Amino acid sequence: MVKQEQELDNRPDNTAFTQQRLPAWQPMLSAGIVIPGFVLIGLAFIGIGVALFVTSRSIQVLEIDYTGVAQDSPCYRCSDPDTKNCVCTMDFSIDTLFKGPVFFYYGLTNYFQNYRRYGASKDASQLSGDLEYFKNPSSDCSPYQYDNDKPIVPCGSIANSMFNDTFKLYQIVNGARKQVPLDGKGIAWWTDYNVKYRNPSVTPLRNAFNGTVKPVFWSRPAYELDPTDPANNGFINQDFLVWMRRAALPNFRKLYRRITEGDYAEGLPAGNYSLEIAYNYPVLSFDGEKKVVFSNVSWMGGKNEFLGIAYLVIGSLCIVMSIVMLIVYAKFKFPEED
Amino acid sequence: MTWRSPLALMRDALRGQRARDKELRNLVSNLPYEGLDKAKQPNRHFPSNAIKTTKYTLLLFIPMNLFEQFHRLANIYFVGLAILNFIPVVNAFQPEVALIPICVILSLTAMKDAWEDFRRYQSDRKLNNTPCLIYSKEKQFMERRWKDVRVGDFVKVVCNEIVPADLLLLHTSDPNSVCHIETANLDGETNLKQRTVVSGFLFEPESFTGVVVCEKPNNNLNHFKCYEKPDKERAGAGIESLLLRGCTVRNTDHAVGFVVYAHETKSMLNNNGSRYKRSKLERKLNIDVIFCVILLFAMCLVGALHFLWLQALPGIPPYLVPDSSGHLDGPSLSSFYTFFTMIILLQILIPISLYVSVELVKIGQIFFITNDTDLFDEETDSRMQCKALNITEDLGQIEYIFSDKTGTLTENKMVFRRCSIMGTEYPHKENIRLAVLGEPESEEEVIFNQRPQSLQTGWSLDAEDTTPRDTTQRRGSRHRSKVAGIAQSDVAFSSPLETEVIPDKKLLQQISRAESSSGSRKTDPYLDFFLALAICNTVVVSMATAQRRRSDNLRYEAESPDEAALVYAAKAYGFILLARTPDSVTVRLPSGEDLVFKVLDTLAFDSNRKRMSVLVQHPITKEYVLYTKGADYAIMELLGTPYAQHHLDCYAKEGLRTLCVTKKVVSAKVYESWLVDRQRALAAIDNREELIMDTAVQLETNLSLLATGIEDRLQENVPDTIMALREAGIQVWVLTGDKPETAVNIGYACRLLEEEDLLVIDGRTLTMALSPDLQERFVDLAKRCRSVLCCRVTPLQKSRVVKVIREKLKVMTLAVDGANDVNMIQAADIGIGISGQEGMQAVMASDFAISRFRHLKKLLLVHGHWCYTRLANMIIYFFYKNVAYVNLLFWYQFFCGFSGTAMIDYWLMIFFNLFFTSAPPVMFGIMDKDVSAELLLGVPELYRTGQGAYTFSTFWVSILDAFYQSLVCFFIPYLAYQDSDIDIFTFGTPLNTVSLFTILLHLSIEIKAWTVVHWVIMLGSVALYFVVTLAYSAICVTCNPPSNPYWILQSQMADPMFYLVCLISTVVALLPYTFHVMRNSIAPSPIVQARHLDRLDPSEREQWIKEWRSF
Repeated sequence: MVKQEQELDNRPDNTAFTQQRLPAWQPMLSAGIVIPGFVLIGLAFIGIGVALFVTSRSIQVLEIDYTGVAQDSPCYRCSDPDTKNCVCTMDFSIDTLFKGPVFFYYGLTNYFQNYRRYGASKDASQLSGDLEYFKNPSSDCSPYQYDNDKPIVPCGSIANSMFNDTFKLYQIVNGARKQVPLDGKGIAWWTDYNVKYRNPSVTPLRNAFNGTVKPVFWSRPAYELDPTDPANNGFINQDFLVWMRRAALPNFRKLYRRITEGDYAEGLPAGNYSLEIAYNYPVLSFDGEKKVVFSNVSWMGGKNEFLGIAYLVIGSLCIVMSIVMLIVYAKFKFPEED
Repeated sequence: MTWRSPLALMRDALRGQRARDKELRNLVSNLPYEGLDKAKQPNRHFPSNAIKTTKYTLLLFIPMNLFEQFHRLANIYFVGLAILNFIPVVNAFQPEVALIPICVILSLTAMKDAWEDFRRYQSDRKLNNTPCLIYSKEKQFMERRWKDVRVGDFVKVVCNEIVPADLLLLHTSDPNSVCHIETANLDGETNLKQRTVVSGFLFEPESFTGVVVCEKPNNNLNHFKCYEKPDKERAGAGIESLLLRGCTVRNTDHAVGFVVYAHETKSMLNNNGSRYKRSKLERKLNIDVIFCVILLFAMCLVGALHFLWLQALPGIPPYLVPDSSGHLDGPSLSSFYTFFTMIILLQILIPISLYVSVELVKIGQIFFITNDTDLFDEETDSRMQCKALNITEDLGQIEYIFSDKTGTLTENKMVFRRCSIMGTEYPHKENIRLAVLGEPESEEEVIFNQRPQSLQTGWSLDAEDTTPRDTTQRRGSRHRSKVAGIAQSDVAFSSPLETEVIPDKKLLQQISRAESSSGSRKTDPYLDFFLALAICNTVVVSMATAQRRRSDNLRYEAESPDEAALVYAAKAYGFILLARTPDSVTVRLPSGEDLVFKVLDTLAFDSNRKRMSVLVQHPITKEYVLYTKGADYAIMELLGTPYAQHHLDCYAKEGLRTLCVTKKVVSAKVYESWLVDRQRALAAIDNREELIMDTAVQLETNLSLLATGIEDRLQENVPDTIMALREAGIQVWVLTGDKPETAVNIGYACRLLEEEDLLVIDGRTLTMALSPDLQERFVDLAKRCRSVLCCRVTPLQKSRVVKVIREKLKVMTLAVDGANDVNMIQAADIGIGISGQEGMQAVMASDFAISRFRHLKKLLLVHGHWCYTRLANMIIYFFYKNVAYVNLLFWYQFFCGFSGTAMIDYWLMIFFNLFFTSAPPVMFGIMDKDVSAELLLGVPELYRTGQGAYTFSTFWVSILDAFYQSLVCFFIPYLAYQDSDIDIFTFGTPLNTVSLFTILLHLSIEIKAWTVVHWVIMLGSVALYFVVTLAYSAICVTCNPPSNPYWILQSQMADPMFYLVCLISTVVALLPYTFHVMRNSIAPSPIVQARHLDRLDPSEREQWIKEWRSF
């Protein structure tokens, strides 16, 4: 017998783990937990919902469609693809102070910047300022890789299709037009401006572009995108950066400018305004619409009523369900509790 | 190496092929040819002894392994997808990146294969280089290696050495020309077996000029035949003269053999790896994978609707990229491409990682099963063994159990308990008391009846008596039923009960009276009875040796426990079996006198005759005496009148195993004539078995004799186990070779039979019932019976019963056997072997091996339930997880013109499946515990309820749930971010995060018991997601063009909206679960009720279980 005891080499380890006896917490989703849980979740959600809803309601948004499909639109004339250098003006008025800082967006609908092959059509190395890729752009850019055997810089479909309408905003003060200063600084992502996109370290910048051509669709080369500010040219041009960050959904807006300066730092006062649009970008080929959006922002970003309503609805639903469950509970008396 | 023409080489190769394929092989000694060219060697056609079990070679590993792996359909599918991704028009990701998942899977598998193969290589090398002694020209045995052994060599093996090849035994150091071997390496049996030198063979290697004719190699361990033809006279030899490779020589100083098979040895041919069984769950899973493929195709077809959208466009928008020549693909061609792009994009819908995860889960489950201390048997120091690695979950699906009796339900350990001689019963009451005091499980009774009148007439008659030469054909007795088992420990059948028999006083008196009156000469029935017990067996007497020590220096090693029991019984009455050689048996009589009986032949046990005989010559009377021992009905048909039947029936009713012992005196004339037939049969190559059996039957006629009965006690907790299994809704059938009375008695004892709804059917009736026209009705009848008991069935019938039930009723069957019913075990869905007392063949062929019958309860009710629910839930979860995640991509296609854009970085998608969400389901599959073991054992009914975890509807419900959740996870962020300036990856980040939380929380609700491991893995997965994603988005500036996740998660995490979106999406996605909860509260399933009970403290729980079960 003693001998046997010693010989038990094969005996499994008697530990809590190997014997599957680890202390365990066994949560049971019983009504006793679920009903109070639902009430709590419901209340919290209603609270969040109210906050979101109120915030969203306080955000002012003004959208102006300037596609010009309708014949009575001031931009109807410009929507004809054959018209070049067309300028149209949209007038609008604001009843109350549009609180600043006001964000000035342009918006496009039915525009699939998320199209897969469109998205791949760029050369990240070129855009990070590598001169090697100025001469030999990546084949990803094809067919916007070479133009008559000269390399296109910046190459690719995204750059080529860059949005090129420009806007000027005037306030009509006593019949005279007073230009509203637009701030174009810092509208792109900080990381895009400082890390991802780099101009080649060549001065003047235009020398880096020797032997290259501008994208087919562009009217000016990359180094002359902003004639007013020499630092805002090349790949780190703010508008270019904004465009290059592809929108997730086909109906999108992109930040154009911010109104933060001078008399308008507090916002746009009530009154009449006039928006002068240099109409260049064709949208009829894809049934698109173009619009301008003025909006102020809060901690939750732009206006979005959905989220607040959703929280309210789900919160109330939780409360209702907890009541229903309570009734069921009272009626059926759970078997395990009697 | 001399030059040989290719033609000659080819001719030689062909000749070799022919030589190997021939039914009979002619082998000659290598000695005369030693040192000659290979081409001149007579045995060159037969492979050398070097073994190679490796699958691969170093150079060809990669191509061969890839070839192996591509036998898996899933691998081909994923390689196909990766290749598809290299076609520019359809690719969805960067081509190189798409190769990653399949490469990871392939290389992981290749690494595992390489490691396994390397281990095989190492063990091969070790084996091949083991030293051995081969006779050489120098006229002595030289040390060589195993791999040098060739057919035709003379090999010497010494004590405790392992036999390197199949040797025909020519010489041993033993004066009786026997060699003892242990076959533990081959069949797990540890008792010694005797092999005898081939008679008529010359031993001197130099003068060995004969030709050994042997049959083609086969894998039958118990069968071999050959003969030598030096001259006219053939000398036959069988398995009794063959030392098998892998056996160990014991108790014999040395032995010399002639190599008949090298490499193609019986042990090698038996080594055909583990069997592959596919579980029921896995079959269902494969069907569901096909549904996934259909789903995938449907979704891709929706994607191909792309062309409708393209056609609706009035012009060419700037975001459509033409090809290099400036042309856009037409809508239909474009749709065609889109279809393939979508397949690539949505490929994870077919869960490649599911198969890998299932394997991992099964490894974990097997780890826990084999490590369960409750399934550990202290007596034999053996754990539960899982031989089939992929059917653990089937243990939870069993509906029918087919059990053998002996060694399965019963201990198969016997003690001499009662006997009846000359119509008088000797109850051995002292023995019963001993058994009760000592080890109540194992008892045995022997009943010996002798017909008084047979003394004069019956004993010595009849013509065909002859005594053949001896051949100990012990392997035949491996057959199950009456002659049973073998001990597992290194001491065979030596439990105190078997060895300590307290003689019955009345019987002792009878013996002493008989002795004093007649001495050893007179054939007194009492003396004959004990002589028969001592002689009529194949028990090996071994003296105490160093490694097999025993207090007492006589040790009996028997192939069946009843033989040992009978010998010990005889010993207790003073008839001591002192020695057994193939030629003689020495028995010491109570008077102290030693009698040496000359053994003329041993007619071994076989399942057809169900008896064995020993023919001896009495040293004093010089009579030829045939002692026969066998199952009562096998003996009774040879006796004229059914005498002592009353006692036999009586014992059978008490559940005793009954044996009869007979004696017959054979006249010299009969013996002579019989001997000729016998010898002819032994030397025959064709039909050797039948001829030998015929000769045995010839002799075993007109017996006159005595009867015995033996009881085999139930193992501990058998009634309890059977009760529990039946309460669990499992039908338990007992199939036994016993007679109906014994079987019914055992049936009552193990509570199999309690009520009237029982079917007892015997072998002959069963044969009719299983005939094609009655099958249906038999199955129908059996289905209605609570229990079925089949008695007197043969092994073949057992397997037919299992097969018929399995096929007709489409149920999961499990067969348990403790002996050698390989057929039955293999016929069932799951075969369980009990590594108990009898042979190990059942264990070798089984899928799971346990050591006690009672282990079956925990194995099925607890491990079976757990394994099944765990794996089923894991698989369902896996499908859900993949569909839920992939659908996010699908919904996005509606907003990106079906172009195949992914709004999540591809690397992050790979990480998501590879790291963030892979460990939790595997852990869930290994460790989740829905109900505690105590409760599962306490309420066996839960077993049945647990069987429905994975049904057709559960799959679709989970797919629907996945669709719902993916809709929520996509559209809530979509609505929250629509019309804003959000970019692609910034939009994808909350989606990815929401689905991570939803998927993990979904699992959290599924997890029933949270241990430390759960917490670590779940929280670790979430932490890993954020750490890896943050690190990746901080490091990767332009590393993965064109997609670029740089600083995305960082900027999102600085935005309160991100958290609000994630919160509401997760909550809404999981909201339907509350209905589940409500259902559980209003009408809780038994499992849920059980979980409630689990939360109570043990004493309160006991109370509840009792109340609950009383319903």
